[in-house]
Amino acid sequence: MKKKNPFKNFVSKLIVYVLLILFALFMMGPFLWLLSVSLMPGENIFAFPPAIFPTFIDFKNYLEVWEYMDFLKYIWNTVIITFLGVTLSILFSALTAYPLAIFRFKGRNFIFLLLVSTMIIPAAAALVVNYLTINNLGLINTFTGVVLPTLVSVFNVFLFRQAFMGIPGDIRDSGRMDGASEFRIWVQLMMPMIKPAVAVVGLFEFMANWNSFLWPIIVLDTEKYPLASALSFLNGQFSYNFGWIAAGTIISVIPIIIVFLFTQKYYMEGISGAIKG
Amino acid sequence: MGKKRALGYSRYSEVQTAWLFMAPGLILLVLFTFWPIIYSLPLAFTNYSVIGETSFIGLDNFKRAFSDVDFIASIKNSLLYMIIVPFIQIISILMAVLVNRKIAGIKFFRTAYYIPVVTSMVAVAIIWGWLMSSNGVLNYLLMSIGIIDEKVNWLSDKDTALWSLMFITLWKGLGYYMMIYLAGLQAIPQDCIEAAKIDGASNFQVIRKIIVPLLKPYIFLCTLVSLMGAIRVFDEVFVLTSGGPGNATLTSSVYIYQQGFEQFEFGYSSALGLIVSVIIIFFSIFIFLFNKRGGVNPY
Repeated sequence: MKKKNPFKNFVSKLIVYVLLILFALFMMGPFLWLLSVSLMPGENIFAFPPAIFPTFIDFKNYLEVWEYMDFLKYIWNTVIITFLGVTLSILFSALTAYPLAIFRFKGRNFIFLLLVSTMIIPAAAALVVNYLTINNLGLINTFTGVVLPTLVSVFNVFLFRQAFMGIPGDIRDSGRMDGASEFRIWVQLMMPMIKPAVAVVGLFEFMANWNSFLWPIIVLDTEKYPLASALSFLNGQFSYNFGWIAAGTIISVIPIIIVFLFTQKYYMEGISGAIKG
Repeated sequence: MGKKRALGYSRYSEVQTAWLFMAPGLILLVLFTFWPIIYSLPLAFTNYSVIGETSFIGLDNFKRAFSDVDFIASIKNSLLYMIIVPFIQIISILMAVLVNRKIAGIKFFRTAYYIPVVTSMVAVAIIWGWLMSSNGVLNYLLMSIGIIDEKVNWLSDKDTALWSLMFITLWKGLGYYMMIYLAGLQAIPQDCIEAAKIDGASNFQVIRKIIVPLLKPYIFLCTLVSLMGAIRVFDEVFVLTSGGPGNATLTSSVYIYQQGFEQFEFGYSSALGLIVSVIIIFFSIFIFLFNKRGGVNPY
């Protein structure tokens, strides 16, 4: 081992921290500024020079927008949509991925081809037809209609498949010896083994469902909007009331950041499991 | 690829079980991903819209598309959008290298960089829309450090609007790719890098000769994902400029949406979707061929 010069070591550490902080300002700065706007009711954000740091703190914007927008209703809508989306997506994607990892059967390669091809079609092109389909199924203005079209994604299927392939074959064999059905093996032996993958898919689906705004606007009435849709509605209606919009945005962002903080310890493990050279 | 042991010949019951497991997922895929394609194929050769009789019009939609100034502009903008792909890879790899060390507070920084990824595009668009307005914070900061002399209307000037949107897309995505690259970096044995350093390799050489080659499958994946994202970009454009000013930021996805849901020209919209799909297929084949040559396979 080369002996390290303590001064050089200190300088390189300093440079690393300076870079880390600069990047953090770049990524977090806009949110911190939004927070400061939301805490300064009556302040004009387009004043020049602008107020960047809060000179006083007042929660009036939060109270007013909470009152006006009936946020609880929108949060509740978002929670139901997200819950449906996350659980059903994990269930269907893991079910689809399992045979692709374990069995070899005719048509397997064809299914791979189908899965990959879903990445190719521009989503906007499918919107019209999907709207007609949801309409024909009688699911307009229902939460099921919101989550159904995006439940199975290629990314999730591949991630689960990769995770299932990492499980030693003995485990499945032992289940079979005990006479368990394939479905029981899947539920009781396999699923508990792929928790990191479940966490990653769960987080991605949480993000996708919590943040989706366009499809819910197309399918739902205003009453049933999730937060992101309501926020774009608020932005269109009260574009002059910066404080309200800022407060509403902060309220909508907080839950997802909390979820991320709780799932991030599985995150790296899940990602590295998904990509194998 | 995983183990192929013990799988052998699939027996009848296994085949049946396999299809049973996949049934719900496949039904959803067929219904919401393949049905739109199957349905829009014939649609693309009709003049189906909310008004008038629907009739077969042959290749008219395609002829119209290739002489439609807005559509040509939207394709051009979507292709231009791909410029962000190499920038995303370079910056996010550097970020991953930066956060791939065990020092105090590193978890905080990783989380901070990831926050734009988890927030909704609506929220991001609201914030950047304000920051980039002519009396916004961005102009103030850039003017006070002397990079620009006068206020720029970042999102409503046709010369800067597309670039501003590309910047927002880049900014929102960096954390996502950083995490993937970080996972890749952590799979590289530390001894490998130490050994190279003892042999006198510079940091730059370590990155070029060791880190980048070992990251190849990750670079392939991230390039593919970010390229698809760039060609299909929709949300940020839709929320911030809806294609304007003029058609300066019109991307193909936004134009397809507008023709379908605002003009209700379903036939024409389907034809446009078909053309864009062909372009995307062309690019994916190109990337896969390019990747084959490198001999890397992410799945």
